[in-house]
Amino acid sequence: MRLGLVIDLDTCVGCHACATACKEWNASSPVGGPLSDYEPFGPKPSGVWFNRVRHYEVGEYPENKTINFPMSCMHCVDADCVTVCPTGASYKRDDGIVLVDQDKCMGCNLCAWACPYGARELDAATGTMKKCTLCVDRINDELLPPEERQPACVLACPTHARFFGDFDDPESEVSRLTAERGGFGLLPELAYAPVNQYLPPRELKAVIGPDEVKALLERGLASLASPLIRR
Amino acid sequence: MKPSLSIIFFTVSSGAGLGLLALLALADLFDHALPSAALLQGIALALVLVLAGLASSVLHLAKPANAWRAFARFRSSWLSREAVFSACLVPLALAYGALAWTDEAGPVSIVAALCAMVLSWAVLFSTAMIYASLKPIRQWYGWWTPINYLLLGHWSGAVMLLGLARVHATHERSFGWLAGALGVAALIAKIGHSRAIVAGAPDALTLERAIGVNEGVRPPGMTVARARLFDVGHSHGTFLTDEFGFILARRHALALRIAALTAGFVVPEAWIVSGAAGAPLAWLAGIACVGGLLAERWLFFAEAQHTVRLYHGAPRT
Repeated sequence: MRLGLVIDLDTCVGCHACATACKEWNASSPVGGPLSDYEPFGPKPSGVWFNRVRHYEVGEYPENKTINFPMSCMHCVDADCVTVCPTGASYKRDDGIVLVDQDKCMGCNLCAWACPYGARELDAATGTMKKCTLCVDRINDELLPPEERQPACVLACPTHARFFGDFDDPESEVSRLTAERGGFGLLPELAYAPVNQYLPPRELKAVIGPDEVKALLERGLASLASPLIRR
Repeated sequence: MKPSLSIIFFTVSSGAGLGLLALLALADLFDHALPSAALLQGIALALVLVLAGLASSVLHLAKPANAWRAFARFRSSWLSREAVFSACLVPLALAYGALAWTDEAGPVSIVAALCAMVLSWAVLFSTAMIYASLKPIRQWYGWWTPINYLLLGHWSGAVMLLGLARVHATHERSFGWLAGALGVAALIAKIGHSRAIVAGAPDALTLERAIGVNEGVRPPGMTVARARLFDVGHSHGTFLTDEFGFILARRHALALRIAALTAGFVVPEAWIVSGAAGAPLAWLAGIACVGGLLAERWLFFAEAQHTVRLYHGAPRT
């Protein structure tokens, strides 16, 4: 198994709902939590997050585009964070999920240095490294209804820009989306084989071409409006 | 990268101690043994430097109570290898010192010297490989890092070895040549590393590559596009900006580089060439060398640029 996420950069609106839902679920999780906050109500609020959303502008006006970019652990196939860990606290499960055993971590930061994506954050309050667990305590919880056995970020996304599944299954939604939409992993140059895939923005296509407009207009205004409204 | 003082002190202090220990053992094996009192002083100095470094490295840990677990992943982690080799080295160096104390010569002493030498190299190399194996940091990844760590450790150790030799008036000439040559070699390696970093700049990762502009993350119809950070998404600094966001002011870099070069290389080399005897000048040369290397190691961290910086808006690493 190779569990991971697909993130659709075309539909992501950058609302941070995934990040806050992640924080809400994992703050009290016995696996990944707590996610400590420092001065949450002070002038310089900071704290540990598994998932962060950044915003970029690509291109120059007028040919520019805002890209909202959520990033969390990519659960890499070749995860250097696990290789460099001296204590064995960092490990990769058979289902592909990379986890930190909070009881073993000594807080040396080396795994955070080895991660090119900034997926790992040291919790200054517990002195241990924190990272995305892919909500391992949701996806395997048989007490939850089957449709809720998904990471909190996926369930929270209001634009359905996040998908969870097994990339080793070619029939899964994540595999299919990646193949259909030209999904890609970040920084292939470094050869970490990140599992999470990003879907690039779609090319804009005219819903109906000019010839079709003419043909539809000949049949009356209502026939033109119909495909536009239903698209 | 944030220049973490505990690690900077650890790598420089241990590096000098390990270099000194390896050279003491090497001299012992190649018929240039120091008299027993001088050898004992040398081993004691090396051990103090190594132990001070190891103590400092523990200060870097956020949860030192789990430090003992660092021996667990010898097969994959260079940090674990460093811990294991260090734990073997310390009792062995103590045994080597005890043999020097009793003025023991013969096969036992040779084996002890050989083990001390090999383990010193193993620890120094493991320390260097911790940094050299990190792919997200272009300035560290590759063979220049271990070459520099090994040569700089042996250079500072050689200055101390020569100090001992001059104080005890023994083998000054051969150790003088050894130290002088190591200083030149270390400086060449340092310059070589800096040049390799500059030469590799065209291949440096960019923000555009990091967010996948080549993969289609760009406005419709465009094949190439520039990207810039629009909003970093957090209201104040995070662990990532603290750890990786350090920016070195150019004028500070120049001042530190001059300090590192002068104190770390010019002053000790001048002392070597002058042939000056006496303990005070030897101490001065040794302290200047270590001080200069501390500045050099500070720059090693401050000038390293992690790929996470790209996602925080740095145009390139």
